[in-house]
Formats: sequence, C-alpha cells, structure tokens
Amino acid sequence: MNLEILLIAAFGGSFLTYFLGKFSHKVRDGFAVFISSALVVLVTFFYDKQVSINYYSGFFDLPFILRINTLSWFFAITIAGLGALSIAFSLSYMKERKGTNFYYLIMLLVNASMLGIVLSGDLVSFYIFWEIMSWTAFLLISYNRGPAIAAGMKYIVMSLAGSIFMLIGIFSLYANYGTFIIPEIGAGIASASSGFILFILIMFIIAFGIKNAVWPFHTWLPPAHSEAPSPFSAVLSGILIKMGSYGFLLIFYVIVGMNLFLGLGLGRFSFNYILCWVGAITIVIPTFTAMLQNDAKKLLAWHSIGQMGYIIIGISLGTSLGLAGGIFHFFNHALFKALLFLTVAAVEYRTRGVRDLNSLGGLVKKMPVTFIGVLVGALAIIGVPLTSGFVSKWLIYKTLILDGYSFLAFAAFIGTWGTLLSFYKLVHNMFLGQLPEKYKDVKKAPLSMQVPILILSGVILLFGILPGIPLKVINEIGTSFGFESLNVNIGGIASETGTLNTINILAVIAVAAILIWLFLRAGAKSRRVTQEDSYGAGLSVPTDKYHYTVEFYDPFSRMIKPYLRDVIDDFYNWIAKGAQKTFDHIRHLYTGDVGHYAIYIILFLAFLILASFGWFLL
Amino acid sequence: MIYYIGAFGLVFIGLYIMLTKRNLIKVLIGLNILDTGVNLFLISIGYVGKGTAPIFSRGSEQVLMVDPVPQALVLTAIVIGVAVLALALSLAIMLHKHYGTLNLRKVKEQRW
Amino acid sequence: MVSPVLLIAVPLGLAFAIPLFGFISKKISKYIPPVAMLFNLILSLMLMPSTLKGPIVVSIGGWNPPFCINLVVDSLSILFSVLIALVGFLVSIYALDYMEKKATEKYHILYLLLLVGATGVVLTGDIFNLFVFFEILCISSYALVAYLGDKAGVESGIKYLIQGSIGSSLILIGIGILYGMFGSLNIADIASNINSIGSTALLIPLALLVTGFGVEGAIFPLNAWLPDAHSSAPSSISAILSGIAIGVGVYALTRVIFTLFGVSSIFPFLAILGVLTLLVGEASAFKQNNLKRMLAYSSTGQIGLIVFGLGIANYHGVAGGLFQVVSHGLGKSLLFMAAGYMIYRTGSMDISALKGIGKKMPLTSIAFTIGAFSLIGLPPFAGFASKFLIIQGALLKQDALFFVLAALVLLATVIEGAYFLKVCQIIHFKEGNNQKKKDAPLVALIPMFILVSLIIIIGIYPNLVSDFLNSAASGLLDKLAYIEGVLG
Repeated sequence: MNLEILLIAAFGGSFLTYFLGKFSHKVRDGFAVFISSALVVLVTFFYDKQVSINYYSGFFDLPFILRINTLSWFFAITIAGLGALSIAFSLSYMKERKGTNFYYLIMLLVNASMLGIVLSGDLVSFYIFWEIMSWTAFLLISYNRGPAIAAGMKYIVMSLAGSIFMLIGIFSLYANYGTFIIPEIGAGIASASSGFILFILIMFIIAFGIKNAVWPFHTWLPPAHSEAPSPFSAVLSGILIKMGSYGFLLIFYVIVGMNLFLGLGLGRFSFNYILCWVGAITIVIPTFTAMLQNDAKKLLAWHSIGQMGYIIIGISLGTSLGLAGGIFHFFNHALFKALLFLTVAAVEYRTRGVRDLNSLGGLVKKMPVTFIGVLVGALAIIGVPLTSGFVSKWLIYKTLILDGYSFLAFAAFIGTWGTLLSFYKLVHNMFLGQLPEKYKDVKKAPLSMQVPILILSGVILLFGILPGIPLKVINEIGTSFGFESLNVNIGGIASETGTLNTINILAVIAVAAILIWLFLRAGAKSRRVTQEDSYGAGLSVPTDKYHYTVEFYDPFSRMIKPYLRDVIDDFYNWIAKGAQKTFDHIRHLYTGDVGHYAIYIILFLAFLILASFGWFLL
Repeated sequence: MIYYIGAFGLVFIGLYIMLTKRNLIKVLIGLNILDTGVNLFLISIGYVGKGTAPIFSRGSEQVLMVDPVPQALVLTAIVIGVAVLALALSLAIMLHKHYGTLNLRKVKEQRW
Repeated sequence: MVSPVLLIAVPLGLAFAIPLFGFISKKISKYIPPVAMLFNLILSLMLMPSTLKGPIVVSIGGWNPPFCINLVVDSLSILFSVLIALVGFLVSIYALDYMEKKATEKYHILYLLLLVGATGVVLTGDIFNLFVFFEILCISSYALVAYLGDKAGVESGIKYLIQGSIGSSLILIGIGILYGMFGSLNIADIASNINSIGSTALLIPLALLVTGFGVEGAIFPLNAWLPDAHSSAPSSISAILSGIAIGVGVYALTRVIFTLFGVSSIFPFLAILGVLTLLVGEASAFKQNNLKRMLAYSSTGQIGLIVFGLGIANYHGVAGGLFQVVSHGLGKSLLFMAAGYMIYRTGSMDISALKGIGKKMPLTSIAFTIGAFSLIGLPPFAGFASKFLIIQGALLKQDALFFVLAALVLLATVIEGAYFLKVCQIIHFKEGNNQKKKDAPLVALIPMFILVSLIIIIGIYPNLVSDFLNSAASGLLDKLAYIEGVLG
C-alpha cells in the first residue's frame, strides 16, 4: 500500500464531493462522511511503518518526498479523526445553509492539505501544502459573511507574512546544503555555526509561531475562530493551529536536532529557556482575557491560544517528560477543544445562532447529551483526573517542578486557575441556572451532532483512564528524537519521583463514588424540584429577570481588565494603518500631468548616464 | 562635428518643448522637432567627408560615397514619425471634443 | 521545414487583407484574427523542439549575415512567440463577443498589426528591424487604447503617445550611436565586437536603449502611462497590453542588456530597479477603487518582479524571470478578461460594485479568483512556481544585498495578497442585490477556462516549460551560442 493513496484519496475525494453535490445533497453528505472516515482507516494502516517515497518530480525536477514515521502518523491520525468527526457534525449543522458544496469542498481540502503537511518529507512539498492549507482556511473563515470578512483578511495577511519567513528559511537551508530533503538537511546542519542555526530557528519560529498563535502573533486567532462556521472552528482550533506545533517539532528536533537546539544560547539564557518564557506569557495573558469574554466562541478561541502555551513549554523544555507532556497535550487539546466547539455549535444550532453567554442559560434539561459533552470537555481542559488533560498537564507540571523552573511552574498553575474560572463561566452560563423564556422550546441536539460529541467524550475519558495507549506512541516519538525513554505502562508513567497510575486513581474515585452513593441512599431524603424553583427568600421568583449569569465575574473583571488591553493588537493595527497611509501617498507619484511623466523619463535617463560615469570614475 | 551639434540641439529643443509647454499642439510640434533632430543625427553618422551620393552607376566605383545605411534608416524613421504625428493630431481633435481645451495641465482626469 | 518568416508574413498579409474580405461580407472580419493567431500558435509549437538544439537563422533577401536582416529564432524567441500567439488567439476569441457591437474592421486590423509587431520584435536579429517592429507594436497600441473614443480613452491615448514617442526617439538615438561605433546593425555582429570599445563609452547607448525600451516595458519612473492606458482601454485590449506588450518590452530590454551588451555591472542596478518598481506598483495598487486601474498597477508590480529576476543574473533567477513573464501573461490576461465581463454586467468599474457577483456570474468569478491566486503566488498555480524560482535564484547568490531584496519582494507579495484577496472576498462573500444568474457568454468563457487549465497544469507540472526556460536562460547568460549560431 503506497503512501500516495492517502493524498490521492484526500484530494480526489474533496473534488468528487463537490461534483456529487451538484447532483444530490444527500449523496454528497454520505460521500463526505465516507471519504473522511476512509482516510482514518487508511492512516491506521500505516501504524508503525517507516516509509519514504519519492512521489513526484515534475516540479523543476526537484524530488518530492512523502514519508511517514511515528511523529507523522500520530499527527495524521489526529487530523483524519477530527476531520471525520467535524464532517459528521456538519451534516446537520449546515443543513439549512446555502453554498454547502463549497463548504464541504473546502473542509475536505483543508483536511487533505494538513495530511500533506505532516506526510511531507521535503521542504518544498511542506511549503506547498502549508500554503494550500492557509488559503483554503481563509476561504472558509470568510464563509459566514459580515464580521467574518475582516477576520479572514486579518488571518490571511498574518499567515502570508509568516510564510515569508518560512520561505526565506527554506531557501537559506537550500543555499547552504543544496537540498530540500529533510533528512539530508538534518545531516548537513550538524556542522553549522551557531549564528546560522539561530537565524534559521528564528525564521521558522516566526513562521510557525504565527500559525500557532504564540503570544506576540496571536491576534488573528480570536476573530477568525469565532467567526468561522462552527464545525470548521473545531478543525481550526483543534488541528490547524497545531500544524505550527508540528512545525516546531520538525525544526527543533528533526532538522536542527536535539543537541544543537538545547545547546544554543549563552550562559543562563539558553534559547529554549527563552522560548519557555514565551510559552508562559502565552498561557497567562490569553487565559485571563478569555475569562472576560462574553461570546462563547471567543472565549474558546482565546483559550486555544492559552493552551498552545503549554505545548510550547512542553516542547521547548528539552526533557523527555516535557516533550511527552507537550505532544500529549497537543493531542488532548485537539480532542477537548474540538469537543467544546462542537457542543457550543450544537447550542448555537438549536437556539438559532445565539452565542452570547449573557443571554443563554439553563439548557441542561433540554440538551443533556450536549451537557455531558461540555462537562467532559471543561473538566479535561482544566485538568481534572480521569480525563486525559490531567495526564498531559501532570507531565508538564512534573517536569517544570523537577527541573526547578519555579516561575514557569507558577505561570502554568495560574493558567489552570484561569481555565477553571472561565470554564465554570461557560458551563454555568450555557447550561446551569435558569432557562430564559425564549429558549423553552429548544430541542435536543440532532443525532449526527450527538455522535461526534459522545465519541470525543469517550476518547477523552478512555485516554484519561488508560493513558498508556497514546503514551506508548509518544514515547517512541521522544526516543526517535534522542530523548531517553520513559517508563510507560498502561496506566501511566513510572519515574523516579513517583508514579502516575490512572487506574489506581480510577479505582479510588470509583470506590469513593460508591461510598457516597450508599450514604445518600441511606441518609437524608431529597426532594425533587423543578428547574425554575429557585430560592427567593420567601418571595416568588420571576423567571426571566433572575438570571445571574450576566456580567459574570464582574468585580474580578473590573480589576484585571485594564492590564489585559491587547497592546500587540493595537501595535499591529497601527502598523497596518501606517502602511495604508504610506501607500496612499506613494500612488500620488502618478500625478496625471503628462509633463511630469515626460520629466520622469528624462530624469531617469540623466540618472543612468551620470551614474554610469560615476561608476567608472570611482 | 557641427552636424552633431545641430542634431543634438534640435533634440534638446524638441525635448524642452515637450516637457514644458502646456498646449497639446505645441507638444506635438516639439515631438516633430525631436524626430527631426534624431533623423539629422542618424544621417550625420553616415557622413563621410567629401563623399557623394551612394548610387552605383557606370564609372563611379572609385568615388568616395557616404554611407547609405543610415539613409535607409532615416527614411523609415521619417515615415514612422509622420504616422505617429497623424495619429496624435487625430487624438488631439478628439481630446478637444471631450474636454473643450487643449491645455494639458487641465486634462487630468486619470490620475493616481 | 517551415520557415519562421511565415510567423510574421501570414498575419501581416491577413491584416491587410481584412478590408478585402470586407467586400465579401462585413461579418467575416472578426474571424480573421483568431485564424491568423491559430496559425501562428501551431507554427510556433512546431518550431519549438528544433530551437533547443540551436537558434534557427533565416536570412532575408539572399544576403548573408551580418549584412542582411535576419530572423534569429532561439528558445527565448520561440517561447515568447508561443505566448504571444496563445494569448492573442484566446483574446481574439474573447473579443468575438465582447467587441461585438463596438468593433469595426479597423479594430481587427490594428489588433493583428499589434500582434505582428510583437512577434516581429521577438523573432528578429537586427536591431533596427527590432525598432521598426517595436514601433508597429507601439503605434497600434496607441490607437487601440483610444479606440472607443471616450473621454478616458482619448486622454490615456494621448498621454501614452507622448511618453511612448519620447521613448522611441531615445531608442533611435541609441541605435544611431551603436551604428556609429560598430558599423553594423546586426545584433550578433555587435555582440561579438562589443569588447573592442571601452566600456565607458558603451554606457551611453546602453542608457539610451534601456530608457527607451523601458518606457514600453514599464519600469519604475517610466511607467506612468500604464495605469491610464490599461484601465481606459477596452478589456480585450487591456488583456493583450498587460499580458503581452509589456512582456515584449521586457524581451527587448533583455536582448539589449544580455545579448547585445553583456555588461555585468548593470545587473545589481537592474535588480534594485526591479524591486523598486515592484514596491511602488503594489503600494499604488493597494488603495485603488477602480478595478482595472488596480489590475494595471499590479501589472507594473509584476514587471518589477520580472526585471528583478533578470537582474539576479544567475541561472535560476533568469529562468524565474522568464517563467514569470509566462505566468503573468496567462494570469493577467485571464484577470482582464474576467473583469471585462464583470464590469459590463455591473455597469461600473468600482470594486465596491462587485459585491456578490460571485453568485451572479459564478464561472467568471472562479476564473478571476484563480487568476488572482496565481498572481499572488499561491500553490498549486503557475505564479507560485515562477516566484519560487526567482526567490531561489536570489537566495542562492548568498549576497546580503540580494537577501534584502528577496525579503522586500516577499513583503510585496503580502501587500499583493492583501488587496487581491480583499477583492476576492468582496466578489464571493459580500451580499449583492439579488439578480438572476447571468454569466459571461460561452464564447468568452472558453478562452478563460483554457487559461485556467493552463495555469493549473503549469503550476503543478512546471517541467512542461522548464526545458525551454533552461535553454533560454543559458542562452541569455552565455551569448556565444547565439553569436555562433548566426555568424557561423
């Protein structure tokens, strides 16, 4: 079975879906689900294979290489899986929209190009697929019209700016080593000067950092992810920004190599330590900005930025625990951010487009499955035991504490605290509390939405209880980079300072739950009340006005809001406005008066003649 | 030598008119002068001192002749200049019909 | 073995025969340009393989070089000839409907003459002959810009004429000085003798020729005519002018700088000039409200990119610059053709009037979007492959100056991306007033989609053209092959 099958199926399937949609929408829907699930199956075939083939040389005779190794496989299975679940979710979400052919085409194309990115073995095809992913994502972000258009424009300009740096980096590597193929570059760069390595690293960090929404480059993410159609927001937050993390892993450990990367820097300020600090700022600031948001999708979008910080810390720290934590957190965040976006999308679908947290409430009885989904997702992102988020966060905390990075650990803990506050706000404002009058007729989420939600929740819980399954693969990735192997068993990781064994945790919690249940059965009687029956100190409670979710965390918000003004965004806007003014002035060169134009010609001639004499008189 | 000075003098006069005058007809006259100057320059390149017309006839093989190639070039160049001038004048008429003026400083709708 | 003379002779003959055909039937005159260009296209494609071995030289009049006027068809010439014939053919089919009501015989005669001039410039091996064909090209374009006789067209036409004729006079002075120095008008002859004159004295004719050809080729301070001319001309003419005429100007520049003079000190200057043109062009395009004016400024930017590629003067750079001529020719013609019908249907040239036209004219909008993506340089379209080669060439030089220039080129790409994508967003994603679907007619859609498929095919499989690019680039960088092919 060749690797090219994956790409051909992915790209061919997307175009076929578009054309099928011209005939019949039902056939197209079925085919879209089929092809995205087929991709998942095809990727699993390549588990534990290391293949590298030259699949195309029509591009100026440059060899294009497709390769799969454990790292690629891990990312590919996440991409394919999330793609399939989002498409399944879109079946009902997009039912009443127009232009759905275009939507499915672009969703599948984004999926296909992301697969292409992780499967590329040479930098040219990497860049090609990266750009295809960027512009297809741009088309779909702008799909919703209205404020989405400005959001899409911000996204694509920043993405194109990032690609500049990547292209410069790729060509600098080519100019020095004469090849685009990744393993060959890795072999050649071992003998490079540290100045050159620093330059290459900075080029690629800017490029991948923009895509990954690391702190100074994050401003495109909140508008883009909140205005995109919601199943696509799940893909965007879940995987697309993680392509930046894949890029980081590629450039840090595959191309530059662990020893050179970790050895870079002067004295106390090693390069990867600075990166960890960037990660720490990325955790703290966006997480608290998220807490102040009133739009559910903006809250989730700001959180995506924050969680990227954990991944950056994990990857840059340079210990095997940290690397495992970072990669596992990538996987977990993909799962639970997709889950959260899908549940918010379900609520948005049933309430006809309402995302404003100040007006929702009390939907727990109306949409129970969705509530389970958002609860599992929230617990996972906070990092409560029994969810996989706990394992990855535990790994990161452990490595930070073990190696004595106290400030970074403090930043990580603050991040968790902020996450807890914001997700309580999300869950409470959407599902708990009182049900406003206008949402009395909200129905349950349709089946095609419930299935992906349940699948994702199940996977989160499964990997929370048995984290050994993904950890085994992650450990292989870590050893392939040259880190020492972790002692992984099915229930967790054993290390010198203490074992994480989630099966024991499960056992303890299960026993505790059974004991509590027995107490409740034997003890006090409880009385069933309706949802509207709230305590009103003896007076009757009006249903509509008593909704205490508006201006959640108001005192705290007022306290920290002045510190959280997004100065980076203001800076970028200032640059953009300045550039536009400059361009406006430049075009005034063409005054419209033909005498001026003729003078330009003669001046140019005079300049040429004088310059040529000047050159030779020097 | 003097022919070169004359030719370039005409070229500079023509260029000066084209760059500074406002009336379209004056600019076109300047264009014509520029073309004339260039043609004169081309002919002067082919000048051989004391040469006669470059025409073969019986008994003229030993006589000094001027270079015929620039004369051919100039014929072509004159024709091109005439064609451009004719086109320009017809465009000038249409311009006057639209704008009512031949002042090039006022014909500035296409700008920036 | 067919002679390349037919490439010039047949369209020229057919152009002058159009009035004769007009006696038979008034309607037949609009079908003659497509026939002529199709003949050119097929002939050029047939001649392509033989140019890879060496230039084809045809001497006219029975004299031998260097005393005759000869046609020298090497791989650079045939590449341009194919491009001219292809775009000319497709635009003439497009004009069958677009210029239906407005075209008379004169339009078609002038159109064929323009293409004859362009083909003549790229095929000839004699510098004065090049000037003559160049003038045919220029004069036809002056007339065609003002063809519709409206206010904007006449104003742009007269301004273009004034600037173009200053340029032509400068070329003529330059040719005169060259003749005075070398006594010959044959490009190969001058090229082989170029080292006999000291390089200081050579720089004056070089400056004159560069300025003169640069006016038509639209380099920075000399391109003020371009935005007016390309935005006021009828859209089929804009497509030809933007796609081909400035490409031919660049060809003439290339011939003069590389083959004729070969002075290597001018190359960094050329690169800087190219980047300056690129930046000014893209910056000026940014805030335009008029769609065709925006596309015209973008053309100036792309020419800057081509000149930058040529100024890099190593193999990748020159090949990249030539590839950019091809991809720009295809892409910009496509954009102008699509814009022509969009403007016609909405009745206004404003970009904001294009709101929601993606629903009304879906196929045309897709063509426009693909053309825009190709021009920005997004894979998998042709523009990406050409930009890839150029940046590769620039960074391979390992020189700080070229590094900075390459970074500026990429910055200009971001600016270009911003305004083109803004237009694409307005077309597809903004609400327009709901009118029924009324796309461009089939006769116009076919050439557009031929161009779309070519852009995609060349983008995915650039090896199709890279053989010719290779041999053209090496022919430019090393002119001995050219000289030997002609003079023997």
